[in-house]
Amino acid sequence: MPSNLTVFIVDDDPAVRDALGLLLGVRGYRTAVFASGEAFLHAWRADWAGCLLADIRMSGMDGLELQRRLGELGCLIPIIIVTAHGDVSLARAAFKARASDFLEKPFDDAKLIAAIDEALAQEAVVRSDVRRRAAGAELLRELTPREREVMRLVVLGRHNREIAPALGISVRTVEVHKARLMGKLGVDNVADLVRISML
Amino acid sequence: MRTLRHNTLHWFPACAFIALYLLFDWATYIDPLHGLNITPWNPDPALGMVFWLRYGKRAALPWFVALLAGEVLVRGVSAGLIITLLGALWLTLAYGVIGEALRRRFSSTDIFDNSHRLFAWVAIVVAGSVVNGVVYVTLLTAAGLVPRAEWTMAVWRFSVGDTVGLVVSMPLIWMLASAPGRARLRERVSNWETPAYLALAIGVLWLVFGFITSAEFKHFHFLFLPLIWAASRQGVYGAALMVFVLQTAIVALVKWTGAVDIAVDELQMLDAMMALVGFFIGIAVDERRQAADDLKHTLRLAAAGEMAAALAHELNQPLTALAAYGKACEHLLAHGDTGELLQGAIARMVVESGRAAEVVRRLRDFFRTGAMRLEALDARVLVSTVSQQFVDALREHGVELAVDADAYAAATAAPTLYADRLQIELVLRNLLANALDAVKGRPAGARRIRIVIAPLDGARLQLSVEDSGEGVSAALAVRLFEPFVSSKGSGMGLGLVLSRAIAEAHGGSLRADVATHGMFRLILPAMAPGAHGVNDAQ
Repeated sequence: MPSNLTVFIVDDDPAVRDALGLLLGVRGYRTAVFASGEAFLHAWRADWAGCLLADIRMSGMDGLELQRRLGELGCLIPIIIVTAHGDVSLARAAFKARASDFLEKPFDDAKLIAAIDEALAQEAVVRSDVRRRAAGAELLRELTPREREVMRLVVLGRHNREIAPALGISVRTVEVHKARLMGKLGVDNVADLVRISML
Repeated sequence: MRTLRHNTLHWFPACAFIALYLLFDWATYIDPLHGLNITPWNPDPALGMVFWLRYGKRAALPWFVALLAGEVLVRGVSAGLIITLLGALWLTLAYGVIGEALRRRFSSTDIFDNSHRLFAWVAIVVAGSVVNGVVYVTLLTAAGLVPRAEWTMAVWRFSVGDTVGLVVSMPLIWMLASAPGRARLRERVSNWETPAYLALAIGVLWLVFGFITSAEFKHFHFLFLPLIWAASRQGVYGAALMVFVLQTAIVALVKWTGAVDIAVDELQMLDAMMALVGFFIGIAVDERRQAADDLKHTLRLAAAGEMAAALAHELNQPLTALAAYGKACEHLLAHGDTGELLQGAIARMVVESGRAAEVVRRLRDFFRTGAMRLEALDARVLVSTVSQQFVDALREHGVELAVDADAYAAATAAPTLYADRLQIELVLRNLLANALDAVKGRPAGARRIRIVIAPLDGARLQLSVEDSGEGVSAALAVRLFEPFVSSKGSGMGLGLVLSRAIAEAHGGSLRADVATHGMFRLILPAMAPGAHGVNDAQ
């Protein structure tokens, strides 16, 4: 899945780290490897997008701890937890902390790729959603306070005749405000207006 | 466990039983009361009882035939035809009831493998014999064969004869009656001690019977010597053999020396007591040995389990890397890329397979040394051998390692351990690897490991491994020795669990101190200074 998304690999075993980096690299994924949870957290930036492949047992910060700390930072990157020995209670803890998948070492190549693709797809949906949200918010910021008031009442389903007395202005002025705000938001019907207001 | 339920009785064992029974009856028909079947030692019921345990109610008819044949062939129908028939019928019934009581209780277990069962067996035998004696002698008294005045004495002699016969002979016959029992007996008594205690028994018997006319039972207690020897060394099997031999010898000597005037029934009681003491010692010895064996087996299984789990974890890392490299190579080849990337990947695959092989080698080492080979080892040599293996790693991470054996600098005695070299090396390697991991997190210049070798009282030696790492918190210390509590994904992987198991198998211990720096104490038995020729003049 060539994209602008990155697979972040955190494993304290240098060979495993290197091998996974190579395998995913030759398959066309953009990868970044880290030797520990601390190193990843230290380097992490909010605009990083992709998925995280983290070993659950590492010296220092373990995978679950990393997952928790990222959650605290508001990082919603999907996390695939990896373990060298299947441990039901750990898997449970990982899923409760919203892990995207749980893989047992040594894992099957196809399973790894499937897990990564799913996580990246999930991330892509989240990212586009975020982008749409950001765009909507940007547009809404350009409205004047009066236009915002008019929009609130339009979205609530009020007619122009009802809005005018409520705001103490004429029906004609309401119509002008409405036309202007719909122009600013780039919509030509009330349904689209409702959609934007819900972002 | 012996199964007694589905044995069908064929004519051959029945005939063999009758023949053996008659032989026993004839051989022990000594000092009878009024020419009746009332003798001081009556081991034939023991044979019958084992027969009953094997075949159940089907043993009744052969036993009845044997009892009747005994009256006819050995005693010449001394009680008259009717009473003989009635007596034989009663005895068959009474023995049958005792046999059934034993069978109910022991149908699926061995009688002589724990003290509760042995006690139950003795209780059934004694109670059964007394009741049997009362009824049988009353029958004979009613028929006028035993004078009324002698009723008590006759009951006493009959009951003692049967009880002693059963108590003394039944264990050995029971052991001989089954193939596993025979194998077990053979295995237990086939060592030099058997002829030795038998020789001692002969000596003591000679002593007892050589002086018995003048000294009565004065020397009888010496007979406990060979018995205790047999029971404490060979368990209940040795005791059964010894008790039977002693009893046979005593009866033979009584018959041979004609010393029937010495109260034979009292001698019998003493012998029965001796038998009980022997069996209870034997059972105690067997139970203790069984418990020790079970524990050892459990420990070994646990260690092997730990080892296998650690191995699975250890092997998973190189296997994961190998699989990923392999897939990457496949992909590279499919795209015609045979450049540096491919060569690098292949070279790293070779390294990884070497790492996997190293894990397997360690496992093999462990199982090869699973049986401990104890030898005298100088702890300083041991420590330097192990730390040698860490030289590169220590240098790479800038870790300072100090070995402190000052306690031994002035003394003439060396810090000598009595231990299995490979296993203790494994433990030390594990501790050092842990210490190394612990100090890696410290800033450069503050990475120190110190190994202190010091003597402890009670011929023990302490090897402490200190590091300047974060140390063990109280919460972690509790769980540290549980499997897989360590947070490490790499490293030695053998785990502290296994290290502790090894230390404990040596009679030592391994513990972690709760401290602000790492502190592990390995305590092992030391060799006493005198044991290898170095002796302190003071």
